Amino acid sequence: MQLLVQQILDGLAAGAIYGAVALALVLIYRATRIVNFGQGEMATFCAYAAWQLVQWGWPLWLALAATAVFAFVLGIVVFRFVVRPVSGAAVETIVVVTLGLFLLFQALCLWLWGSDQQAFPSVFGSTAWSANGVRLSAATLGTLAAIVAVALALGVLLRFSRLGLALRAAASDRDKSLLVGIRVETMLMFGWGLAAVVGFIAAALVAPRLFLSPLMMAPVLVYALAAATLGGWDSAIGAVIGGLLIGVVESVGATLLTFIGAELRLLIPMAVTLLVLLVRPAGLFDRKVVVRV
Amino acid sequence: MNPITLSTRLSTRLSLLALVLAALLPLVLPKFLVLQLGVALAFAIAILGLNLLLGFAGQVCLAQGAFFACGAYTSAILVTRFGVDPLLTLPLAAAVTACMGVAIGLPALRLGGLQLAILTFGIAVITPQLILKFDGLTHGVTGISFEPPRPPGWLPVGADTWLYLIGLAAMVICVLVMQRLLAGDTGRALRALRDDPLIARSLGVNLTRVRLSAFAVSSAFAGLGGGVYALLNAYVSPQSFLAGRSIEILIGAIVGGITSIGGAFLGALFVVFVPEWTADLSPALGGLIYGACLIAMMLLARDGLAGLCLQMLSALKSRQSRIRSPNRTAAPRPAAPALTKSE
Amino acid sequence: MSLLKIDGLDAGYGMSDVLRGVSFNVEHGEIVALLGANGAGKTTTLRALSGLIRTRGRIAFDGVDIAGLAPARRVAMGLAHVPQGRGTFTEFSVEENLTLGAHTVRSRRQIATDLARWYEVFPRLRERRRQSAGTLSGGEQQMLAIARALMSRPRLLMCDEPSLGLAPVITQEMFAIFHRINEEQQTTLLIVEQNADLTLRLAHRAYVMEVGEITVQGTAGELLASPDIQRSYLGA
Repeated sequence: MQLLVQQILDGLAAGAIYGAVALALVLIYRATRIVNFGQGEMATFCAYAAWQLVQWGWPLWLALAATAVFAFVLGIVVFRFVVRPVSGAAVETIVVVTLGLFLLFQALCLWLWGSDQQAFPSVFGSTAWSANGVRLSAATLGTLAAIVAVALALGVLLRFSRLGLALRAAASDRDKSLLVGIRVETMLMFGWGLAAVVGFIAAALVAPRLFLSPLMMAPVLVYALAAATLGGWDSAIGAVIGGLLIGVVESVGATLLTFIGAELRLLIPMAVTLLVLLVRPAGLFDRKVVVRV
Repeated sequence: MNPITLSTRLSTRLSLLALVLAALLPLVLPKFLVLQLGVALAFAIAILGLNLLLGFAGQVCLAQGAFFACGAYTSAILVTRFGVDPLLTLPLAAAVTACMGVAIGLPALRLGGLQLAILTFGIAVITPQLILKFDGLTHGVTGISFEPPRPPGWLPVGADTWLYLIGLAAMVICVLVMQRLLAGDTGRALRALRDDPLIARSLGVNLTRVRLSAFAVSSAFAGLGGGVYALLNAYVSPQSFLAGRSIEILIGAIVGGITSIGGAFLGALFVVFVPEWTADLSPALGGLIYGACLIAMMLLARDGLAGLCLQMLSALKSRQSRIRSPNRTAAPRPAAPALTKSE
Repeated sequence: MSLLKIDGLDAGYGMSDVLRGVSFNVEHGEIVALLGANGAGKTTTLRALSGLIRTRGRIAFDGVDIAGLAPARRVAMGLAHVPQGRGTFTEFSVEENLTLGAHTVRSRRQIATDLARWYEVFPRLRERRRQSAGTLSGGEQQMLAIARALMSRPRLLMCDEPSLGLAPVITQEMFAIFHRINEEQQTTLLIVEQNADLTLRLAHRAYVMEVGEITVQGTAGELLASPDIQRSYLGA
């Protein structure tokens, strides 16, 4: 029983990571209808930037705040100069461009900081509690709380605020949005900037646990994509819940189904995602409505 | 998206010319380059399969590398375990991979573009792990090595050239198959599936069969390419089939132009040679330059390299036979309308 | 000074021009009809006025040249456009659509007031306020589109074929509303239509467009009386 609880907690810890990256992915998708395969690497790059500031003697909170601003600007710049020029092109072209971003940022980190792993300071310190043989660290709890808070904030912003409404409208239909006076370009840029900040937050929360390296986020990408798919690509909270689900299922499943072993851990969340999609093709939280033709 | 086409006669002439040149290349190129070109051909076959699935059937499948691996390992295992003649393993590799393709195509029937992409991406990621897991068959991390097929006595070519020619022959077969598929009813059905499935179904197109066929043929091609790859290297190991391989094939397809048969070659050449060149340029910045190249390419050539070539060709043509078009503002106004203008 | 004055407008899509040297004006408080057959360039004209396509020539809105302005700026200046096919955001709710219509309005109180007002004028919209706009009938969507455009309290409201696909009864209702907002709020209207008869009875003045040019102009009465118009557009 204790083992199960521990597994669940570990799964939640891992799931928080997946959900965090999924959140950034979903945000960009909701804002611009693009899946940015380079999201994780951009976030890693920002995490490195924050780490560098700390190395230069900046206090942690200041480094994080400054990097958050930097991340926002980076998101806008990437959108303005890389994504917008191809925004009218076919889906595959955009896929290759975001893959190019993936390679570009990964290589950038590798070039600037080398491939060695670095320790990243944790915002929550290293306290941990044990009760009944079950261990829970402050970092895990803090990460979970932070991710859920960000997801809720984003969800509220997108669903209930005028800005969120304009963001969603701009993503949904460009011409119609222009006719109501929405500055579509500005909205799209804002969406990317915001998603970059969310990605950075995810990386900063996750780096203490995974250790900062240029390849840190790459394995997470698949899980994050699965989590976003599970959540339906339409809901911020759905992405996080999807991530948590996948984390828990992977953790518990790997122990229960011992024949799977360490190598095939990914199989479990994939199988779960596939099953869910076969039953509910739109994902768990999708709110798509049938439109009259 | 309109398929990129040249006039049929020009296209046939170009293809024959290209084929002859390609067959003669080993005479002038150093051995290692010939082998690399052979590898490019193996990729080109896999890319061609992806073009079929992505460009013509509109199915976003990112597991092409997994099919590639399936074909490669099938070949290797057949040669080493069952003593099958290496050349004979190629069609077998294609057949086995086609079965795998259909197996994946079945659940894919219910999934939309994005979900299919993600799911197949997951398959691509898990492939090396699966290879490691079933190490009884695959020899896990150590991989399988074997004797490459030797050139027959009556052909006075080196071993590398023979392998290259095998690849070339396989490629030609695939191109012919592809052309036949696209020309007939299947081609129309595929395009209907890509452009508007709803209308296609109402016109009587059996979407399920067309989709599964597309998966089957596409994966058969990838399996064949994998088999050729295995023969060329005379060695397979999980390292060669990481998730990056699927991405590579995808990039090759898109950079080449996904509705172009010729584009498959161009894309294969791009992914085989460009990363090497950029790494040579600067070991540290290699990855950076490659990523930037990729992005720049897409910004400049949306329909891929094939589209770029066609644009240049048509620009040349129009320069040769240009007639000056009349100035728009000087164009005569249309005849006075029936209604009189009232002040 | 006219509210809207267009001078020598050329516009088109890509290489060729659809509109050639179009000139007309709309005065404050008027209802102007822009008539013509399919393909005459009426929709292109409205899209040009909204800034959705490139133009050459002068477009003066209340004296200000807006030809180079971004679409969002033009809406902020008081130019609203109900496009062909309604232009409602089908995935969003009725209320969200109306709120989006007020995107350029700063005051929350004004938005709330206007929402209440238009719910009163269109009770069916209030009933369906939380429903997704895509599930509304054609007539309801048209009402929603108009209400949405009016949420920004425009000075000039342009409508592209509002009667398209609507039952005659609904069309009558809609035109009555046009009349009402023109009278009560002095909202200027520019209505593009193929349905000449009803439109000419509503409008003060009208223009006829053919192949990208204005060919006929006059008061509504004149056009209604003209035998040529009768023949070509009223099926008499």
